[in-house]
Amino acid sequence: MDEDEKAALAQDIRNALRMIIDPEIGQNIVDLGLIYDITVEEGGIARVTMTTTTRGCPASGYLKEAVGNCVWYVPGVEYAEVHMTYEPPWSPDMMTTA
Amino acid sequence: MPGATLSRWTMSYFAIACLMLLTAQGLMAAGYGYPAASIGAPETLVVVHVTVIGWLSLLMGGALLQFVPVLVARPLVGGRFAAPALVLLAGGLAALVAGFVALSGSLDLPLFLLPLGGGMLLAGFGLLAGVLAATLRTARPLPLPARFVAAGLVCLLAAVLVGAAFTAGLSGLDESAPLARLLADGVPLHAALGLGGWLSITAVGVSYRLLAMFLLAPETDRRTSRAAWWAMVLAAGLVALCVVLVLFAVSGVDVLFTAALVLSLAAVALYGGDVRHIYRSRKRKQAELNIRATFPAFSALGLSLVLLNIPAVRGGEGVAAAVYLFVFGWLTGLGLAQLFKIVAFLTWLEAYGPILGRMPVPRVQDLVEERHARILFGVYYAACAAAALALLAGAPGMFRGLVALQLLATLALAREFIRTRRLAVVPAALRAPAGMVQPHLFLPLSASRR
Repeated sequence: MDEDEKAALAQDIRNALRMIIDPEIGQNIVDLGLIYDITVEEGGIARVTMTTTTRGCPASGYLKEAVGNCVWYVPGVEYAEVHMTYEPPWSPDMMTTA
Repeated sequence: MPGATLSRWTMSYFAIACLMLLTAQGLMAAGYGYPAASIGAPETLVVVHVTVIGWLSLLMGGALLQFVPVLVARPLVGGRFAAPALVLLAGGLAALVAGFVALSGSLDLPLFLLPLGGGMLLAGFGLLAGVLAATLRTARPLPLPARFVAAGLVCLLAAVLVGAAFTAGLSGLDESAPLARLLADGVPLHAALGLGGWLSITAVGVSYRLLAMFLLAPETDRRTSRAAWWAMVLAAGLVALCVVLVLFAVSGVDVLFTAALVLSLAAVALYGGDVRHIYRSRKRKQAELNIRATFPAFSALGLSLVLLNIPAVRGGEGVAAAVYLFVFGWLTGLGLAQLFKIVAFLTWLEAYGPILGRMPVPRVQDLVEERHARILFGVYYAACAAAALALLAGAPGMFRGLVALQLLATLALAREFIRTRRLAVVPAALRAPAGMVQPHLFLPLSASRR
């Protein structure tokens, strides 16, 4: 798997994650800036670092599970791992659209 | 872990709270209690406690079980005590109300019901406050909104202790001189600790976080917010000190109580400035109805505190109108407006959270019908303001009619909450995707689905 293939798979994952909405704001989690990082390693191993708009939000667990499920189903992904972080905390400035 | 912080019993707290609000409004519309009876009459005490314990405190308790973990980003500690606390609170309120009815002489019931109710309420609120305090304890140093909640919980315990002492005095269980003095002069202090300390300080704290969250405004630690906390805590401390002075027959209560009211007004002015700042720095262009319907509540808070700071109003018949505006304009208005959102949010989590990411799901906002509710909130607030004016003008017939109008608006809002729970507003294409489980109306989720 060369670097271009890894970058392409990361982009596919990013596009796939656009189907998940933040239930409160109603926008997809990618454009909201909730996906901090997507890395793809050799063998189709995908690692996603994400956050939620509010720390301790009761929807956090559902969002994390949804991201995991979604990434697993992207063709080319052999293993998916999702890491939830609040460093840095999300702020509205991270949105790409208001 | 999905939904680990979804509070199991919150919806049950809310359901009983709404029933109690409707009961209280029904009693007032029927002419039970003030103004047909005096402010201190047992009939008035029935209405007041059904409203403040049955409606406002259960509403706040249910909301805090859900939102304290959000405020401190820690799971709820001792959540298994939420249900026993609810049973104790509902049972305690029933006994207390029966005791007041006995006191009124309209039914031949034992006066022992009063201290029984007081004791059960003390146990129920103690349990609830214990759960919340234990959760807060895991997150020290506390963020500012949580510090408001902590102060509110201390006030709750103070208010309940004074109330329990009242029940001992009213039932004749304790006829000591200090308690007799507290019964004679302590009612405004009990009310201030409950309505101002417990319900308002807590509501202010939670609103700092929720407003920023719902409006997508940056959460900043402002000096004015910290000053508001200090002013509110000082005011509550002065009121608590007044209780001690009354018990030991020391003079100075009036001066301290007046100072507490002035501090409260200053705190509310600071809070108002903060709310304005949060609203102006929002990233969400269109505020949703739960926010817009809160603005009249803020106005009612400011206006009622201005009125209570006028000695002629506070010492005269005007106090009833000011307190009515505080309870039904500020606390109830805020409560109904936030319920509109919270019921939708919790229902979404129960119904659609587990299938998020597997198939298209509606937004939280798709679970509510703002168009109807906007009119209902308008009717509610207009009737509330007019009812307060009717009290001020000494027009009891008009007051009852306007409370009946408020009751109708509240009933219609309760119907909206039920429609949200039943997913009745959700577009048909998104309503029931495969794997979705319909939430119960008010009973908790089964443990396996949490």
